[in-house]
Amino acid sequence: MSKFFKKLFGALADKPWDKEQMITDNYHQGKTFDISNQTSAVIVIFGVSTVLFSLIVTGYLYSIPVTQDTQYLLKPNLLWLNTLILLSVTYFFNKVTKDLKKNIVERVKTNLLIIGFLSYIFLFGQIFFWFQLMESGNYVSTNNYFSSFYIFTALHGLHLLGGLFFWGKVFSKISKLEQKKIISHKKTIDALSLYWTFLLIVWFVFFLIMYVFNDAVIEFCRSLLG
Amino acid sequence: MSDEYNKQNTPIEAQSSETMSGSSGSTTDIDYVRPAELPEQDLYHGHSFITKWIFCQDAKVIGIQYFLTAVFTGIVGLILSWLMRLQLGFPDLVPFMTAEHYYQFVTMHGMIMVVYFLTALFLGGFGNYLIPLMVGARDMVFPYVNMVSFWMFFIAVCVLMASFFVPGGPTGAGWTLYPPQAILPGSPGSGMGIVLMLISLSLFVIGFTMGGLNYLITILQARTRGMTLMRMPLTIWGIFTATALAMLAFPALLVSCIMMTLDKLLETSFFMPAIVQAGEVLDYGGGSPVLFQHLFWFFGHPEVYIVALPAFGIVSDLISVHARKNIFGYRMMVWAIVGIGALSFFVWAHHMYVSGMNPWFGFFFATTTLIIAVPTALKVYNWIITLFRANIRMNTVMLFCLGFIVTFVNGGITGIFLGNVAVDIPLSDTYFVIAHFHMVMGIAPLMVIMGAVYHWFPLVTGRMLSEKLGKWHFWFTFLGAYSIYFPMHYLGFIGVPRRYFEMYDSPYVTSATGMNEFITVAALIVGASQFIFIYNIVTSLRLGKPAGKNPWKANSLEWLTSEVPPVHGNFGEKLPVVHRWPYDFNVPGAKEDYITQTTPPSEVINAEVEKT
Repeated sequence: MSKFFKKLFGALADKPWDKEQMITDNYHQGKTFDISNQTSAVIVIFGVSTVLFSLIVTGYLYSIPVTQDTQYLLKPNLLWLNTLILLSVTYFFNKVTKDLKKNIVERVKTNLLIIGFLSYIFLFGQIFFWFQLMESGNYVSTNNYFSSFYIFTALHGLHLLGGLFFWGKVFSKISKLEQKKIISHKKTIDALSLYWTFLLIVWFVFFLIMYVFNDAVIEFCRSLLG
Repeated sequence: MSDEYNKQNTPIEAQSSETMSGSSGSTTDIDYVRPAELPEQDLYHGHSFITKWIFCQDAKVIGIQYFLTAVFTGIVGLILSWLMRLQLGFPDLVPFMTAEHYYQFVTMHGMIMVVYFLTALFLGGFGNYLIPLMVGARDMVFPYVNMVSFWMFFIAVCVLMASFFVPGGPTGAGWTLYPPQAILPGSPGSGMGIVLMLISLSLFVIGFTMGGLNYLITILQARTRGMTLMRMPLTIWGIFTATALAMLAFPALLVSCIMMTLDKLLETSFFMPAIVQAGEVLDYGGGSPVLFQHLFWFFGHPEVYIVALPAFGIVSDLISVHARKNIFGYRMMVWAIVGIGALSFFVWAHHMYVSGMNPWFGFFFATTTLIIAVPTALKVYNWIITLFRANIRMNTVMLFCLGFIVTFVNGGITGIFLGNVAVDIPLSDTYFVIAHFHMVMGIAPLMVIMGAVYHWFPLVTGRMLSEKLGKWHFWFTFLGAYSIYFPMHYLGFIGVPRRYFEMYDSPYVTSATGMNEFITVAALIVGASQFIFIYNIVTSLRLGKPAGKNPWKANSLEWLTSEVPPVHGNFGEKLPVVHRWPYDFNVPGAKEDYITQTTPPSEVINAEVEKT
């Protein structure tokens, strides 16, 4: 990280009019970071989406009323199962990128197929959990907890759907390729893998704040709000 | 600093702080550049009218599409402002004008001008046209996504305009759209009007994110050889930093739009406290309207700099080219742009001094607001020092640049007034605020837009605009704008409140009527004078003097394309190779008064660049 900042802010100290600097600068290839455009795009989306999700969580924490009743909060196991599924998707993606790094391409197609399948299962699991919530009388307008819960899971799901759109494009191309040519899509698959890791991190933060440690977080916010 | 190039034989190691691993090397030739290591970009060249001009992937065409759409919205905003001014200056003159209409026009004027006109024009218009050209790229890195970005913007504009035609009309909640009144009956347009506004803004943000992704990655990752970050023109630095701000600030707008839409349609209570309306208890409860204000201004204040930073960058380049002098303190100008961008996220609550915040909170935000004046003032000093003893060409472009500096200083100073809590509270709901933000965020960026159009029109069309008409246009705009906004400062000081449909029998009537009439007449004249500009553009497109290549004798890459106007792919067979920054003007020892960025050192062997 320090190397990153040194590179970024160190560049701002360059004197472009200076003789030595000019000669040095002539070697520059025009790229700031040694990463692919796809990975750059995922990193930028990270930034934007992190702000988006952070603001939703901040809004939720800001709006916790002193008298909010949390007793009705459901604690079913389905969210744990969904979390496990998302974790396993990331595991398979990690496996694919590691294989590609070592030029092992035999199981890439199969693993990508499993990734897509599990991701859709996760989405169906989330929708099923929504139905469970609604059946128990907890709708999006019931209170701010559920409003935030629905909006967060919906946006997370939309992000995953976006990822699945690109997964579909990549998979349809790769499935038609001979195995030895799969390596040409390494950069795109790496970028997708990074994106799924980000989605997992976002989900973990949400899962811990709004579910696992929900009561403790609410208590803490109440104490802050006085 | 002496910049004598001698054919030295000592090997030189690459040491730029930005140089990536594996990109160092050594050479004995002062003109040496590394061979290209990155593959050429594959471009999709449209062949039919539709793929060439409508669903086009060329960033230049997309830039023009953004520009024209933004100008269309700007004209709508202008007409709305005329109607508002007619009501304020000559009440009852416009027969259909009711209080509801007035508030709807105020709201739509504000939102259109800030988001759909200025933001789209600077980043979508100038950004798309100039980024690939100025950094030496063939196109944006993701041209298809870039095209989708424009069409999302276009749909957002259509949705926004559709709100004029739905039952109840567009929202009249004020451009800040504060809940709870924005979505409750009683406010004009609280039905479909507000919903369409929220949907339109959400589409705008999604579309902009696609464009912003392209701008950032093209600037960071797709520059041509030799184009280090610190050799980029300040225009690109301004657009880059503004895009980064937008990418971090627009999610706040998106979140608030989504939440308010849910509050309106599904009766959630993100921003809605328990409310009794006409004796009836509504289903809302537990939400916070102040949360919306925080979210809105977390977007809203950086938005000021999203507009201002590209203007800062562009005006720096225009001044340098038309004063034939390198920009004073280039590094400081870059640092100031980056610094202002970073600080802009720590000042948002100065828009909320009257929201009942803790005084210490106000103290913090007053302090950060005053701190941000430091890098801003630094930029003003550097523009002035650049002009000092320069070989100034007093053409239309320069006039607009000078107009910008004066207007920006004026608006900046009144900003210091309003940044202080004790001064802001009595002034916050008066015409002083209107005068301030129109000076700093309306007229000042408009001056830059006009100057930029006069500067880059020859590149885009291959023809020059009429200087004579340009100067008429400038003086009408400049003097007219001051006729509108100078008196408004006075109106604010005497306490004339903003957002009032009419003054009724208040004591302000007698003292403000004459001035309101004067302002209205001035506004009509300034607005009408923009048609001189439009006439100039339309006639020059066919009858303007052919511009030829590089008519301003500028140094940056956009003027060094293989053809004028540049075609898709920008630079012919080979991409340009950059040997220097873009500000080598009037270099002692050089044959011409400018040295382009692609001129190798051996061609200007006796040139000595002075340290700034």
